Amino acid sequence: MGRDGTYQGSRRQLLRAVSAGGAAGLVGLAGCVGDPEEATNGDEEFDTIELAVLEPYTGPFSDLGEERTQGTELAIEQINDSDEFEFEIEYDTYDTQSDPEDALSEAREAVQSQGAQFLTGCISSDVALSMNDFALDNEVLYTPGAADVAITGERCNEYVFRFETSTAQIAEAMAQWTYEEQGDQIFYHLADYAYGESVMNEFEARMEDLSDDYERIGETRAEFGATDFEAYITQIESAADEADAVVIGSTGGDLVAFLSQAADRGLIDEIPIVTTTASFTPIRAGAGDAATGVFSGVRYYPELETGDNQEFVEAYEAEYDELPDNFSRVGYDSIRMMARGIQEAGSNNPSEVADVLGGLEQETIFGPNEFRECDGQAVNPVWMGELTEGDDLPEVEILTELDGEGAIPACEDTGCDR
Amino acid sequence: MLGTIFQQLLDGITVGIVYVLLAAGLSVIFGVMNVINFAHGELAVLGAYFAVAITIQTGIGGNAFVVALVIAPLLVGVLGVALERYTVQPLYGRNPLYHILLTFGLVLVINDLIYLVWGTGSFRLPRPGVLTGTVGAFGFGVSAYNLFMIVSGGLMALAVWALLEYTRYGLIIRAGSQDRQMVRNLGIEIDRYYSLVFGVGAGLAAFAGIILAGNQQAHPDLGMSIIIPAFVIVVLGGLGSFKGAVVGGLLVGILQESILRPWVPWLEGMVIFVLMIGILLIRPHGLFGTEHAEEGGTERLLAGRTGSLLERETRFKLGLVMIGVLALVPIVAGLLGNLFWVTFGSRVLIWALFALSLDFVMGYTGLVSLGHALFLGLGAYAVVLGLIHVTSSVFVALALAIALSAAIAWIVGFLSIRVAGVYFAMITLAFAELYYNLLYRLEITGGSEGLGLLGQDYYYGLAGIGASLDDIAFFVGPVVLTGHSLFYYVVLGALVASYFVTRRMLQSPFGSVLKSIRENEERATFLGYRTVVYKRRAFVVSGAFAGLAGGLFALNNAFVSPSAAEWLKSGEVIVMVILGGMGTLYGPIIGAGAFFGLEQLLTHYTGRWRLVLGTIFVLFVIFLPRGLVSVPTLLAPYLPGGPGPTSATEQLPEDSSTEGGD
Amino acid sequence: MATETQIDDRRTNGETVLELDGLVKTFGAFAAIDDVSMTVERGEFRSIIGPNGAGKTTLFNLISGALPVTDGTVYFDGEEITKLSPPERVARGIGRSFQISNVFGGLSVRENVRLAAQADRRDGYNLVESFFKPTGRYGDINQETDRILERIDLDHVADEEADALAYGDRRRLEIGVVLATDPELVLFDEPTAGMSVEETQETIELIEEVLVDQTLLLIEHDIELVMELSDRITVLNQGEILAEGTPAQISGNQSVQDAYLGGMVE
Repeated sequence: MGRDGTYQGSRRQLLRAVSAGGAAGLVGLAGCVGDPEEATNGDEEFDTIELAVLEPYTGPFSDLGEERTQGTELAIEQINDSDEFEFEIEYDTYDTQSDPEDALSEAREAVQSQGAQFLTGCISSDVALSMNDFALDNEVLYTPGAADVAITGERCNEYVFRFETSTAQIAEAMAQWTYEEQGDQIFYHLADYAYGESVMNEFEARMEDLSDDYERIGETRAEFGATDFEAYITQIESAADEADAVVIGSTGGDLVAFLSQAADRGLIDEIPIVTTTASFTPIRAGAGDAATGVFSGVRYYPELETGDNQEFVEAYEAEYDELPDNFSRVGYDSIRMMARGIQEAGSNNPSEVADVLGGLEQETIFGPNEFRECDGQAVNPVWMGELTEGDDLPEVEILTELDGEGAIPACEDTGCDR
Repeated sequence: MLGTIFQQLLDGITVGIVYVLLAAGLSVIFGVMNVINFAHGELAVLGAYFAVAITIQTGIGGNAFVVALVIAPLLVGVLGVALERYTVQPLYGRNPLYHILLTFGLVLVINDLIYLVWGTGSFRLPRPGVLTGTVGAFGFGVSAYNLFMIVSGGLMALAVWALLEYTRYGLIIRAGSQDRQMVRNLGIEIDRYYSLVFGVGAGLAAFAGIILAGNQQAHPDLGMSIIIPAFVIVVLGGLGSFKGAVVGGLLVGILQESILRPWVPWLEGMVIFVLMIGILLIRPHGLFGTEHAEEGGTERLLAGRTGSLLERETRFKLGLVMIGVLALVPIVAGLLGNLFWVTFGSRVLIWALFALSLDFVMGYTGLVSLGHALFLGLGAYAVVLGLIHVTSSVFVALALAIALSAAIAWIVGFLSIRVAGVYFAMITLAFAELYYNLLYRLEITGGSEGLGLLGQDYYYGLAGIGASLDDIAFFVGPVVLTGHSLFYYVVLGALVASYFVTRRMLQSPFGSVLKSIRENEERATFLGYRTVVYKRRAFVVSGAFAGLAGGLFALNNAFVSPSAAEWLKSGEVIVMVILGGMGTLYGPIIGAGAFFGLEQLLTHYTGRWRLVLGTIFVLFVIFLPRGLVSVPTLLAPYLPGGPGPTSATEQLPEDSSTEGGD
Repeated sequence: MATETQIDDRRTNGETVLELDGLVKTFGAFAAIDDVSMTVERGEFRSIIGPNGAGKTTLFNLISGALPVTDGTVYFDGEEITKLSPPERVARGIGRSFQISNVFGGLSVRENVRLAAQADRRDGYNLVESFFKPTGRYGDINQETDRILERIDLDHVADEEADALAYGDRRRLEIGVVLATDPELVLFDEPTAGMSVEETQETIELIEEVLVDQTLLLIEHDIELVMELSDRITVLNQGEILAEGTPAQISGNQSVQDAYLGGMVE
């Protein structure tokens, strides 16, 4: 928390009246036991909605959190300036750090103290998963930023809608390309937490579908947040003869440090390195030359001509003097899609918004898109790319594209029951 | 195959050499001054960031790397001297555990300063071209930079060794780490060398931080990740032994990189702590440490006292008023329509209970547990796993949490209470880290994702009679108390009950022995008390209440993840106890309130609130070691219409600044 | 300045209460105690003297159990106690007195004495009781406490903090605490160190008065005092027994004169 992100000039003084209803009021101070449902009320007339932006502004994902916030803020600005929407978005930012307890505490303050009805953010998968539960428990709508499959899979719920591309979708593109271009003997290096695990599971599931000869040559797991990868690189090197590629299931600072050390050791000359997120700007910036030659799944690139992406890029560049990247576009369209849902529902009641948002077709930077009704996942296209030498940063060269319908798992395979 | 083994060995030495440099400073500082420097990792990272400033922020780039390698450690060394002079020095003569507390405060301060100056991102340290890429050595291609790390680190260690071995300074320092008193008796003012030793140690750490950042990256959290292994090494090698630091550093480096990770990765993070515990139990002075009298060990910890300012009865009434005020919180919050104060209050009260539990063992027996988060984590997981697999009664689950925590506390206590002071702190830290690592590895704990309670049906009651807090509501005037508000009362009830139970215990024969141990353990022994037994019992009681706090912690979040048992939580709860005033039971409760109140207040102004908190904590440790509860007594003489002359005289023996020194 | 307390009041009946047999304590290569054997009779007032570094305090530590022996045996009341811990020895009746600053300063006078009385009786109570029953409700312990407070004449300040006591009262408290552990044998390590002649006198009188039934073992540097008070004296030098006997025998012993007294009386 601590960053005051209000645009309106005047800070909102929203005291959400939890009135007990007339009947209870008459009972007076005597106190009695009753049904808590009587205590909640709807709010039909509204001209503002309260949004909480929950991002890791400290810790390993802080760069990504900042970037995503820029996209979020751009969308809010456009919505508040636009005549298309009959309401304004008021928001505050909260620092989730990288600890679920801190994140939950911030979310509680947002919802219970500031009266937020809509939540967005959280890069780290375990924090986002705890926020999933929180959203259902508190009946607030949540648009997460993490890619973990379970968010719109086994731990999905009707209050969660994700514009971020899930690991399942990215793995589809990566697996197809890897199988065709490299082979089916795969070594995995994972950050030992929810995200790393899901990369291997998803990639492996697709590889098994593609090839009968698929084999997992080996795997190494580094603690989440690890900075020293020497021993793992040695193991990958020693398996380089057998394996066709090494798939890296980590992101953020973990990935930067891995790529840096791998480059020092010349790992890329021995085995193709396939990553899920090396195409992100902060990772390319962090790893620098060390990222050159690495392959990566691509969830977004600014040159894209689909939907209103170019308008987005232009506005973003004007505002922040830099090109948008994956997290800024997630922040941007998470808010726009949510806002259209609110507009459609004509209510700021999160439950009513959630009812109409699933399956609501709308225009996005990827062209026509929707949060699927069955799991709340956006149907995003995905790409495979290679990082090549660039001026400041390595550039992303797109190798293949897979459309939204081709990448997203079938509803019945998601494990989501909502 | 041979190449792989060679490479693995090289990995081990690369990482090991950094550990050697870190541990050497840490160890010699302890040997000479009896100071456990928790801020050592932060000093290393600070070195790396100074190098960032010199290479990146001047725009010179990789060519300035060597310059940075010389200048940055010097700067950090100067800073080290200043830190010793202005923060560590006032504490000599007090129990050495105060240095742990002080340097933990410095960790908060330095870490947040780094965030403040360099931001949240990470920097890859630019290096001269000759140090990048791979070179052929012994027929294998190895990383040029890793070779550089080994050679430069090795030379640096050699230089330190030569300094210790062949110079007059070195001789004095070596002698001092064996027996300070003897050196003093020879007419040498060893105290004057303290600043120097601290500065050189800091410089060494900075050097290690820079070469490490060249390999990995300069990141604000780097210090947190290297300090724990550095401690393990110092303990393994023997506190105070340079040779021990060298052997221990290489041993842990090779064990970690060349043996555990390649061959038995699932044991990593556990073997090292088991090794540490084993060494502490079998050879408390490590592989190369020598037994030397812990001259600081007998000074007692400074318990908070309100003295006679408030009569017992007044205090009791004040306590009841406090409970009354706390009980009104949900109603007032309900009237204002701001439920946040209820959930915030629950969080504070849970931590207050946790702090109370720590105080029972720390404030009354002088055992500073650096691993109390172990019990918080045990209680939290016990409740969640209990509700998922065993019972749907919250009360039964909480009872499970208490029983499990008490049982583990007995085992940990049985193994560790025989070692005293700093060694006890280290061994509890090792147990907590062991458990923390275990949480990630086990299937049943859900690994890093943790476990959620959502969708679990549970009720507050026994034997099927009871209700879920969301299903019942109390209407108090216009206010509805349900869900979180009712949970608040559960927490408040638990805290008040725990307070009265522990208070009662302190009035019993058991409690009076605890108090005598706090006052003078040796004397208690010669009254015929087996103090080890009493300390262990106190530890079990403490563990049980910490387990209860952990259970409530999990219920409050409806979720538990391994972070419940991380060492930072152990540190934070110590901060709360000291802030409030240890050895008073209610002091830690006030401390928890102050801690979170401060956080809540400061986060409105700055994201870097730990900087302020750390500074306040450092000031408390130095100037107000008896905590907030001692403030009224200190102010009493200056207050007009205060308690008058009687209390001013009675307060004499409580003068906080001098008492620990005798 | 001689004390009027009659040494003759003490009656030793020839029964051995403490026996040391071939005690050795080494620190590294240095032998602090080197083959010391001695016996102390019940009711005896025994002083141990010797130059600095003779091993007097080390010997006390071996008797009280504060240090483990390197070799040799300690018998108390006919039982071997060589391997027992300090608390176990206290339970058998070996009390140890400390210098004055060593009472529990933050606790009340009553609590100081009660802790000692309680230690002697705690076996009579079950664990749960000892955790939860307030100390005020243990009748016999409190009776014993009151008895001792009266005996040391501190009943009027029983509820004050020990740190707040006057110097002389603290000394009384210290001795009262030792008495409350109900010892058979009390070890005194320089109880009068740093005291003026007058204070020393008072302290010794107090010990004589309060601990008249106990066997006393005293380390003391004031030779005159020792000569007056002791039934017997043991002279230690460099970890060995140089001489042992009545005050008269010791003062007439030439080797004691050479090694110790000569050097002491400058």
